[in-house]
Amino acid sequence: MNIVVSGTLKEYPEGLSVSRLIEAENIETPMYVSVSVNDEFVKSGELDSTVLRGGDVVEFLYFMGGGRR
Amino acid sequence: MAFSNEQLERYSRHIILKEIGVKGQKRLSEGRVLIIGAGGLGAPAALYLAAAGIGVIGIADADAVDLSNLQRQVIHSTPDIGRLKVESAREKMEAINPEITVKAEPVFADSDNILDLISGYDFVIDGTDSFPAKFLINDACVIAKKPFSHAGIIRFRGQLMTCVPQEGPCYRCVFPAPPPPDAVPTCRQAGVIGAMGGVIGSLQAMEAVKFLTGAGQLLTGSMLTYDALSMEFRKIRIKARDGCEVCGKNPSITKPAGGAAPVCEGIAL
Amino acid sequence: MADYTIDAAVDITDVVCPVTFVKVKVAMDELKEGEVISVRMNDGEPVQNVPRSVKDEGHKILKLLDNGDGTYDLIVRKQGD
Repeated sequence: MNIVVSGTLKEYPEGLSVSRLIEAENIETPMYVSVSVNDEFVKSGELDSTVLRGGDVVEFLYFMGGGRR
Repeated sequence: MAFSNEQLERYSRHIILKEIGVKGQKRLSEGRVLIIGAGGLGAPAALYLAAAGIGVIGIADADAVDLSNLQRQVIHSTPDIGRLKVESAREKMEAINPEITVKAEPVFADSDNILDLISGYDFVIDGTDSFPAKFLINDACVIAKKPFSHAGIIRFRGQLMTCVPQEGPCYRCVFPAPPPPDAVPTCRQAGVIGAMGGVIGSLQAMEAVKFLTGAGQLLTGSMLTYDALSMEFRKIRIKARDGCEVCGKNPSITKPAGGAAPVCEGIAL
Repeated sequence: MADYTIDAAVDITDVVCPVTFVKVKVAMDELKEGEVISVRMNDGEPVQNVPRSVKDEGHKILKLLDNGDGTYDLIVRKQGD
């Protein structure tokens, strides 16, 4: 199936969960990334059980501090 | 209020713009913006807002200028090392534009002072580095219904979003809670390219100017991310979460909590 | 004669670009929609650029009068607010 990950079209096998996608995409700080699928945030407890479908649009949002010091 | 010939010349490039004009420049002159953090993000924001003629600019930070700041905090200079950042910043801002009022607040935002700090301002710029500070500012601004700009920078990446409470999502809609101490890299451990603060802090100033003048559309309902290495800007749609702890239907957070002590030291949050 | 009456006047012969147009904008800001302003400007750069800028802002240019002394009067009707 094809899904859009961070704006890029990618091919992944069917049945892929969000947590497997996080692994496959080598996401830094996987415990603390916010994931949205089709503009809806996936609750952190539901990353394993959320299965992606063809055409899904996935975005990763990272904590960024920085600035003052 | 009528502009003098000197003011017309100073702000001529603004006044010429259809979206700003005379009315917009008046709104800027009557505007009040608070910048929390006089560092990598706050420095360019403060310089541009001073130059833009924002009537009152507050700048809050209890830190002193350190040699390691100068790689990116362009409002401070080498002779300023050891001085309070807010004093150093005020001097530069007043030198650019003697017509504005700069309120230097030599404090770190915390749960006791945050509501007082932001009251009386039209717009808040979060230029802090620590996650407790970012959540504190978010929660206080949502509770006080104060529009603000969130931003973060690390390595070659930056992010930005504008929150207008009750009109769109807040920072907590994206990230429900701060990460534990040291769970995610901070600028001090991971580094940050100096110009990143310039890019993102300038965008924060841009949002403040747009908010005050009503020009264009604010960055609400989206997070803008910038990757300098691939030179890509992306605008990621963000929806408000019904269950958001502070801006949702039944908020569990009804007053600001948590401190905002410096965190880049790697010490306790 | 003219099918308009002048409600205001501004002289921009003593300033250079971009303050020329800025002064016009400030003067027009004081007008109500439909009112007419006469703008005195120098030949050369101002007369080339100011009328175009005024038009870009959506106002209506009624006339450009050559005063014969190196200055022009641009007659503009304010549109919109």
